[in-house]
This record gives sequence, structure tokens and C-alpha cells, in this order.
Amino acid sequence: MFPVFQPESPQAQAIYDLFVIVLVISGVILAIVSLLVIIAIWRGRAKATLPEQDFGSHKSEIFWLVGPTIVVIWITAISAKLVLTINAVPKVHLSEAEAGEPNITVTGHQWWWEVQHDDSGIVAANEIYIPVGKRLRVKLQSADVIHCFWVPQLARKMDVIPGHDNYIWLEANKPGTYQGRCAEFCGTQHAWMNFKVYALESDEYSKWETNAKKAAADPVRADALAGKQLFFAHTCVNCHTIEGTEAEATIGPDLTHIASRKEIGGGVLENSTANLKLWMKNPQAIKPGSKMPDFNFNDRQVDQLVAYLESLE
Amino acid sequence: MSTQTVDQLDAPIAQSSWGLLSWVTTVDHKRVGLLYILFAIFFLVVGGLEAVLMRIQLAVPNNTFLSPEFFNQLFTMHGTTMVFLVGMPIFTGFSNFLVPLMIGAKDVAFPRLNAMSFWMLPFGAFLLYFSFLTGSAPDAGWFSYAPLSTKPYNLDTGIDYWILGLVVAGIGSIAGAINIVATVLCLRAPGMSLQRVPLFVWIMLMQAMLILITIPPLNSAIALLCIDRWLEAAFFEPVRGGSALLWQHFFWIFGHPEVYVFALPAFAMISEVIPVFSRKPIYGYAFVAGSSTVILLLSYGVWAHHMFAVGLGTSANIFFSAMTMLIALPTGVKIFNWTATMWGGAIQLTTAMLFAIAFLIQFVIGGLTGIMFAAVPIDWQMTDTYFVVAHFHYVLIGGILFAVFAAIYYWFPKITGHMLDERLGKWQFWLWVIGFNGTFMVQHFLGAMGMPRRVFTYADNPGWATLNAISSYSVIFMVLGTLVLVWNVVKSLIDGEKAGNNPWDAFTLEWATTSPPPTENFTSLPEIKSRRPVWDQTHPDHADWKHSKTPEDRGRRPDRARVCAWAFVISEAIFFALLIIAYVVFNFDQTGDGPSAVNSLNVERTGIFTLFLLSSSLTFMVAERSLRLGRQASFVTWLGITILFGVVFLAGQAWEYTDLLTSGVAIDTNLFASTFFTVTGFHGLHVTGGLVALAIMFALGRKQRVTQAQSKPFGAIGIYWHFVDVVWIVVFATIYLRVYQS
Amino acid sequence: MIDSNLWSWMSPVWVLVTILLLLYVRFVRGGSHLQWVACLVGLFVLAMAFVSPIGVLAGGYLFSAHMVQHLLLLLVVPACIVLSLPRETAERWFQKGPVNQLGKWLAVPMLGWTGGVGAMWFWHVPWLCSAATQHTGLGVVRDVSLVAAGLAFWWPIYAPCDRYRLPPLSGMTYLFSACLGCTLLGIYITFAPLSVCPVFANPVDRLGILTSLYSAGFTPGIDQHVGGLIMWVPPCILYTCAIISLLGRWYSSIDAAPTYATGSSTPSGA
Repeated sequence: MFPVFQPESPQAQAIYDLFVIVLVISGVILAIVSLLVIIAIWRGRAKATLPEQDFGSHKSEIFWLVGPTIVVIWITAISAKLVLTINAVPKVHLSEAEAGEPNITVTGHQWWWEVQHDDSGIVAANEIYIPVGKRLRVKLQSADVIHCFWVPQLARKMDVIPGHDNYIWLEANKPGTYQGRCAEFCGTQHAWMNFKVYALESDEYSKWETNAKKAAADPVRADALAGKQLFFAHTCVNCHTIEGTEAEATIGPDLTHIASRKEIGGGVLENSTANLKLWMKNPQAIKPGSKMPDFNFNDRQVDQLVAYLESLE
Repeated sequence: MSTQTVDQLDAPIAQSSWGLLSWVTTVDHKRVGLLYILFAIFFLVVGGLEAVLMRIQLAVPNNTFLSPEFFNQLFTMHGTTMVFLVGMPIFTGFSNFLVPLMIGAKDVAFPRLNAMSFWMLPFGAFLLYFSFLTGSAPDAGWFSYAPLSTKPYNLDTGIDYWILGLVVAGIGSIAGAINIVATVLCLRAPGMSLQRVPLFVWIMLMQAMLILITIPPLNSAIALLCIDRWLEAAFFEPVRGGSALLWQHFFWIFGHPEVYVFALPAFAMISEVIPVFSRKPIYGYAFVAGSSTVILLLSYGVWAHHMFAVGLGTSANIFFSAMTMLIALPTGVKIFNWTATMWGGAIQLTTAMLFAIAFLIQFVIGGLTGIMFAAVPIDWQMTDTYFVVAHFHYVLIGGILFAVFAAIYYWFPKITGHMLDERLGKWQFWLWVIGFNGTFMVQHFLGAMGMPRRVFTYADNPGWATLNAISSYSVIFMVLGTLVLVWNVVKSLIDGEKAGNNPWDAFTLEWATTSPPPTENFTSLPEIKSRRPVWDQTHPDHADWKHSKTPEDRGRRPDRARVCAWAFVISEAIFFALLIIAYVVFNFDQTGDGPSAVNSLNVERTGIFTLFLLSSSLTFMVAERSLRLGRQASFVTWLGITILFGVVFLAGQAWEYTDLLTSGVAIDTNLFASTFFTVTGFHGLHVTGGLVALAIMFALGRKQRVTQAQSKPFGAIGIYWHFVDVVWIVVFATIYLRVYQS
Repeated sequence: MIDSNLWSWMSPVWVLVTILLLLYVRFVRGGSHLQWVACLVGLFVLAMAFVSPIGVLAGGYLFSAHMVQHLLLLLVVPACIVLSLPRETAERWFQKGPVNQLGKWLAVPMLGWTGGVGAMWFWHVPWLCSAATQHTGLGVVRDVSLVAAGLAFWWPIYAPCDRYRLPPLSGMTYLFSACLGCTLLGIYITFAPLSVCPVFANPVDRLGILTSLYSAGFTPGIDQHVGGLIMWVPPCILYTCAIISLLGRWYSSIDAAPTYATGSSTPSGA
């Protein structure tokens, strides 16, 4: 329920520990101030006589400054120490501009995430599969405006900025599904730019990898075949990629394995036949402002297209 | 500004009529102040209603009450309205009304400029809100991050109205701030040394100075954005070599000090209210005043803490984190001073005091979450979530708006002559405490649940619906509280108890005159021998000057025309500094393809025209000296030569522009061309402005209307003219002389 | 940092420090405890600026270390020297005509400001910066000029005789504008590509520590970044502290107005 307080990686754990320390300190400070104020009110509320006209003393003021100063320096120090350990920018001589190779390259688009596994060449959208217990360097770049990559349970937040590559570490202690979101306002559908990180045990992960590397097989069912024809007869290819076909544009998400995705539209809908149909019928009704236009497909066309997409496993 | 300085001397005509026209034409600081306050309250309601709409949309998951487009417009307009149309004017209003009264002055230093500053504001607001009628209000957030706000991603005109509205309102704010600075420095009553001014006055002086240096970076950023959008430059377009981060740097150099532009006046108000209702002087005046000054200095070096998540690099993050932690100290000192003031005092729990106490606690909460954000790793988790929304609303509403309520209850009797009803006041107080904390406390938890800010809706994740509902329903209490306040004001105006001069037995000079004060403010002033002149008068046995010595007034009051000119020049200098930084950023490398300073500029020729401009400063000095000595003919001649030199310089620039344009170098060619035309163009505009002022002086001089008596205001124009030359020297060095470096 | 390579115990700076200390003991009478502390801290910092790893790394390895050294010499050491002079002794010294003239001359705010801020800018012109790092002679000139400029800079603020000091409000303006000056330079260095001091971009590895520096993260890019931030943040904090002390002076100036040698009466000169 509170992903920030349920860290599942060493990095998120360290941030959580720091957060708890600062929360406790803050609580104590708040308690002290409130107590002083309450006591002052309680003792002064019925006073009728003129109180002593006290103009203050520098000594006591400086004395009261010492405590906060120490606290502030201490918090600065422990947070600086943590900052120094979380730097994922490759350490190389900058004049040899070649940076350490990232394991995953994530590109933010309005309003979906393109995920490229650089080790295996697998490209996906809004889903990141990682092996458990391995620290991966993720390179973040943007195709349009500024986004922000955030998986609270696993890693720090990092902005995704056009023309400025950022790096973070991504790692999960145990298998599971971790919710990620875009945290920087990036336009109309900023709210539906979610993604999920799936951490798998290494054997599961290699299974996923082999499966994901396969190119799309030709559909066998007749309606799916008709759907494929529709797909290539319309302008779908101008935006989408399906490996092994002539569709290779990157304006919209890669659809090579669309059928095995769990969500569509940046998390706006679960991936199911019914929902895919809803989406194909009119994407603008589901996700207004999305870059995918309403093609005014009739029901039969929608059925065929969805049949084709569902064959892409 | 020049003409203002000339006719400031014939003071504004006293007005006694209360007709509508008298309000439009008024230059009385009290009426202008009141106009500011009413304007701000109107937009507080507007911005509040926008927030109510958003909370309705967010009350349940997957809501379709508002479209995403409209929701985005709403939060953009909510933020912009609250910052520029509420936060800025409400404090300028109080400052306008109270500062002259508190320092025993008749009016502000430049009453007509004051009226102009105010009327810029409705004009800016009109431009901003007109965008709704065009069908597309700005929708890129109140900080309009580029490239989302640039043409490729935002074709509608909303952002253009945003730009126009902000520039107009910003000019008004700078002019208003100049006025407050000049008023405090030049118009204090005899006996009131700067070390004796009420804390409200000192802190508002700091705030005015902060406005002077904080608005120009915004104007620079907006100028660049505007050139990007209208003239197709690419400052913020990474694809064409621009930088997406430059906007953030420029914006937050403005944006963070802006937070203190709001926080300082709240401190100022609380520093008046708490002592009066504790029946004690403020504990540690020098610490409260001095820490405000320190905040002013430090606030300029912490902007990048808004950018910890953009990947600035480890060292920058740590340094800015340390600076941010540092600025917490002077703020913390104040909390201590206020608490210590209450300690041992005779506390009177009036509505104003209740709001002040709630301010204290809620501001501490907002401050502590602020410390969390200064710790970089925590910021990495919590920034851009509802946690940060809660944080800054605790500062802005729980802190600052509560301070404004305290100020309203405290000064309402002085402004109107009627008391507000205390029983209704307490109703409002409790409604607001419940409503505010109900709305925003739970948002801390929403942030920890992972809810990003600025989402128009959300999935039904565990816990989200409940907390959002609590947050939304609590708004009802704040709305009711506001209605109670309105009712209270109306009731008081109709048959409120008469206030008398000094209903709270307060300390500072505004309470020494009638409520409401007469047009000329005071019939007589008490003697000022300490920081609490009215207290000294009402409690002669315990008079402050007997117990606590304060530095005597040495009677020095600088010339207000010069103060005005200096203040204006400083703010312009910062504007140019940022433009020149933009030039340097985009022209590190002068060897690339396309036009650059090396292959496009004729340094020698411009050098010659530079000499003309520099000589014009000398001729101006001669003219000024002639005027001072009363040699009218020589003055006019030398002024004429100055104008001539200025025109020659402009002609040189025109020649250069023509050459560049004919050889195909235009503002949208590449970043060199864009920055070059931007910097030199703005400088040219300033030269032109200066020439217009000089030409007016020339014409008046020939008709003997500018004579020896006006040599001081004339000298103020000189400050501006020399400044324009100094800017050119810097521009010439960075743009032209750097050519030789490569 | 414990590596003995990184310490330069045989630095000639010890001679200078000893001489200064002897001079202080011999000629300065009536120094309070605080003034003694200021003197000792100043001399200690002066020694450490050359002896400690700061001095060694500043010699062609790290731009950031160079920057620390620069700031110690320009701001810390001169401030300590000026603060260590007791009023009585100084009054005696500065009685005589020509010395008094020098004191007055140093009290011209434009001079100190230009010296303090100008020295920062001047020694970071790329070729000068490299040359001063590579040639010992020029290096000495630079270090001496930094201390001299620093003395001129602090003089109008902390001169031992009141008549040389700026009035507090003008002093605050002086310091705040200096802060803006070094902020601009800091921004420039922090965000500039590798060119500010070319010699640090490709260091000559005299001591064989370059690899360990790089693997500790001090690559030239980061190094310059840190250098720029050092140029920017610590001086501003120092100036702010000085401003706080001026504020204190201003609020407690209850006695009759002291006489000032210079400075306009317009606190608005801001």
C-alpha cells in the first residue's frame, strides 16, 4: 500500500532508512515546538498583569541555534553520503565519451515507455523484465518532452530528458511485480503513463528472454489473417513496429508481443479481448488526447484486428 | 520612470469622494493598497474554485467529471493565479497600505507609479484569463517546463497568453517593489532610523528587494520562450541544439526566491501580531530582522533543489542540498523568536492570534517536510508526488494564507474603522483548521502511496480512493469558512463595532492615527525614540527607550529619484546577466558549422560604434554638470550630442543587422544567431528607451522646463544611461572580443 | 589522503609562516585571545594550503584542489590576517601620513572589490590558469597577488581602524555584490565544457596517483564541476557570515556615529 515504505532493493532500502531517520527527527522537533507553544499559551492565557518586557538575549538565541545547526549538518552529511553511493553514471574519462554500456535503455514517449533490452535486443513497451538480484544500469532518454521514471519500491526517481541522458540502477531483491509511473507532468495523458517492472528468477527470466526474442509468427486463424491485412492496409504501420514484418515505426509502442502484455494504454486498461476491442473501437474514448486516432473501424474490423493482435504472443 | 520622477514633486491631490471613478483614478497609497487586496481576494476565490473543481474530479478513482485537457488547464491556472494574482498582490497590498503608515509618511515615494503598478495587474490577469475564451488556457503547469511549453508540443495559444500575462504582471510587481524600497529608505519620519522600523517594514523592504532581483530571471526565461514560440528559435529544443534544462535553471532562479517573496511577508505579519497579543516586544528584533536579510541573500543560491531529480550530477546535488539546509536555519531562528515572544507573555487569544498560532505549528510542519526535500535521496523518492503537494500547501496555505487571515483580522479595524466579529472569526478559524489539515495532511500519505502530482485521475489502487475522498470532502470546511469570513466582513461593514484609533493597544505608528486614516495619514506624530513609539506613548512608565537602546536616527534620507533609478538598474542588470549567460551557454564552441561570432561579426566596425556609445556617457556627464551649475544652453547642447551619439550607435547596430540578415543569418538560423539577436536586440531596445527619455529631457530643456531644480531626477536618468553603456561593455566583451580567443 | 606522496613537508612556505609568526610576536602588542586565534588559524591555513594534499593536488592534478587553494589564499588567509591586528597597534601604525594614506587608499571600496572579485576572474583566464600551474615563478606571483588582493578585499570590512571601514549597509552591498560576482564565475566554471584550465584536463602524472584519482570518481569533468561549485558555494557562505557580522555591528551601533573614511550615505547603493 505504501511503496515508498516497502523497499525491495538495496538502494530503495537505503533511502527508506534515511527517510525514517529524518521523519523521527522531524517528529521530535515538531513535538518540541508544539509543546513550547502550548505551554506558553497555557501559562499566558489568563495573565492579567503586564508581562515583563523582555527584548531577548543574543546568548540564548545562539544557544538555541546550536541544536538545529547540528541536526541540519548531520542530515546533510548522511544524505550526502548516500548520494555518493547511488551514482549510476559510468565512471570514465569524459573525453573518451563512450559511456559504460547500459543494460536497458528506456525511452519516454508521450505517453508510453519504450523499453530496449540492450543485452538481448528485445524491445517492449511499458513492461520491464529483469532478473532478480542483478544490478542493471538503465539509460533514460526521451523522444519528446521531459518525463520522469519512478519505481518507488526499487529505485530513486530520475527525470527523462530530451538531449540529456540519465542513468540509474535498477535492481530487485525478490521476484514480483513493481508498479512504475511517470512522475513529471508531460502533457494531456500524464496520468496514464504507467509501467510495470517484473522481477523474475533467473530461469524464469531466460525462459521469458527466449520467448521474447522470437519474431511474430504468421497468424493461422482466418479472422486474424484478415486483421493482419487490415493492419497493413491502414496507417497502423506508420506508428507501430511488429518484428518480422514491414512495420517498424517507433511513434507508438512495439506490438510484436502485444498479446503477452498485461496492460494496454500505459495502464489505462487490463489487456483482455474485450478491452482491446474497446480500445480499437475508439482509443480517444479510453485515453483522450492519446496519439492514436479514432479510425472509425466497424465492429467486424475491430474483431479481426483484435484477433490479429491476440495472435502476437 | 523618468517622467514619474519629474512630477513626483507636486504631490497627489487629496481625494475625498468615494465614487467609482475616484477608485479608478486614485493615487492614495491606502486606496491602491486596498485595491490590491480586493483584487487578490477576488482571485483567491477564483483560484480556490479551480482547486475545488480539481478536488471533485479526484474524489473518486477513474472519474470522468473533467476531461484531462481541462484538468491540466485548471491546475496550471490554479498555480499561476495563486502565485501571480494572489500571492504577489495581497502582500503588495498590505505593504502599500501599511508601510507608509508605519514609518509615519504621507504616502509612498511615487504615488502615480504606484497606481500604474496596480493597474498593470488587472491587465495581466485579463490577458491570462482571456485564454479561456480562446478555448485553450495554458496547460503546461505553472512552471511551464520546456519543451512541453514550446511550439512542437503546445500549438495552442494558451502559453502565449500565459507569457503575456506574466510579463505584464511582472513589470507591475517590479515597479511596485521599487516604490516600497524608495518609500522605506527615503520617507521615514524623523527619529525612525532603519534599525527602528517595525519588523513588518524591514521584512517588507527585504521582500521588495527580493522581488527586484527575482522577477528579472523569469522575464529572461519568458523572453527566450517567447522567441522560441514566435520567432522559431530553438533555445529549448534539444533536436536543434537547445537545452531542455536551461528553462528549469532560469525558472527556478526565479521560482525559489519567489517562495520567499511569499514567506517573508507572512513572517512580517506574524512578527507584528504575536507580540501585540502577547503584550511583549518581539524577542530578539535583530535576529528576526537579520535572519530575513540572510534569507534574502541565500534564497538566490538554492534553486537547484527543485532539480535534484534531473541528474545534475552528484556534486551539484550535494552542494545545493547543503545550501538548502543552511537556509532552514534563519527560518528556524524565527520560529524560536516567535515562541520565545509568547513565552511568559499575557496571551490574548483573539482570532488574529489564533491564526498566528496555527501558522506557527503548520509552518513548522511544512518546514520540516522541506528539510526532507533538502535531503537529496528523500527528494528522489518524494518529489513530484502528492507529498510535495502537501509540503508546499502546508507552507503556502497552512503558513502563509493563515498569516494573511491573521493580518486581515488584525488590520481590518484600521482599514475600515470597524471591528470584525470575534465569534464568527473563531468559527472561521476552526473550519479552516479542520478543512485545511483534512485536505492536505492525508496527501502526505498519498505521496508515500506513490500517487504522482498533476494526474487527472487514478486507478483504484488500495487506499487511494479513501484518502482522496477524505482530502476532497475536507475542502467543504474551507469553503464554509470562507463564507463565514465574507459574512463577517459584510456584517462588520454594515453595523460593526467602531474600532477607535488603537483597539488592540498595539505598538506601531499606524495605530497612532484614526481608523480609517485620513488621506494625509497623520495630523501629528508621536515622538519616535524606539521601535514601539505608540507603546512608549501609551505606557510611558515602561517606555522602550528607557530599557533598550536602539541606534539613533542620523537623519540621512537618500534622494528617491536616485534610489528608484538604482533599484531599476539592478533588476535590469540581472535580466541582462541571464541573457548573457544564455549566450555563453550556447556559444562555448565557436568552431562548429553555420554562422558563429567568428565568421559572422565585424568586430572592428562594431568597436568604432561602441566608442560612440561610450563617449555618450561622457557627454552626458558634461550635460549633467552643466545643468547642476545652471548653464542651460551648454546643457541642451551636450544633451543633444549625447542623443546624437546614441543614434549613431543604433545606426551602427542597424547596419550590422542588415548585413547579417542579407547574408542569411536570422534569429531562427542557429543558436548563435538566436542568442546574438536576443542579447543585442534587448540592449538596442534599452538604448532606444533611454534615447526616448533623453529626447523628452531635450525637448523640455529647450523650453526651459528642465532646469537646475530638476538636476537630481535628471541624474537618475543618467544612472540608467550609464548602465546601458556598462551592459554594452559586457556584451561587447563576451560576444565580440571572445572572437579573438579562438 | 594519508599517502605520504600527497604531503609536501619540505615546502618553503614554512619559512614564510615562521617569519610572519615572529613578526606578529615581535611587533603586535595587546592582541586579544581571539586575535591570536585568528593569527594562528591564518598561518596554519597558509601552511596547509601548500603542505597538505590540497597544495600537492593543486599542482597540476585536480582543478578542485586548485580552487580550494585559491579560496584559502584569497579569502581565508587575508581575512585572518586583517582580523588578527589589534586596534591599538594598528592605530599606532597608521598614524603616520604615508601609511595612513595607504590605509585610506585600501579603504576605497571599488579597489578592494575589483581586487577580490577580479583576482578570481583574472587567474581563471584559461591560458593564464594553465601557465601559472606549470611555471613556478608565475605560480608564486599568482599566490602573492591572491593574498594581496584578499587583503585589499577584506580591508573595507574588517580593517582594524574604524575610519577605514565601510558603513555596515554599504559593506553588506559590497559583500553581496561580490557574492554575485563569484556566483557568475562559479556558474560559468560548473557548466563550461572542459576548457577552463586546460592543464587539469590532461594532467602529467608526476606522483603516479592519477589512476586512483580517476577510479575515486575525480575524472576531469567531475573535477571541474566540483571546482566550479567550490568557487561558488563556500565563498558565498563566507560572505553571508561576514554580512551577518556586519548586521550585528549595525544593530548594535548605539553609540554616537563613528566617522567613516569613505562610503556614501546612501544605503540604497545596493
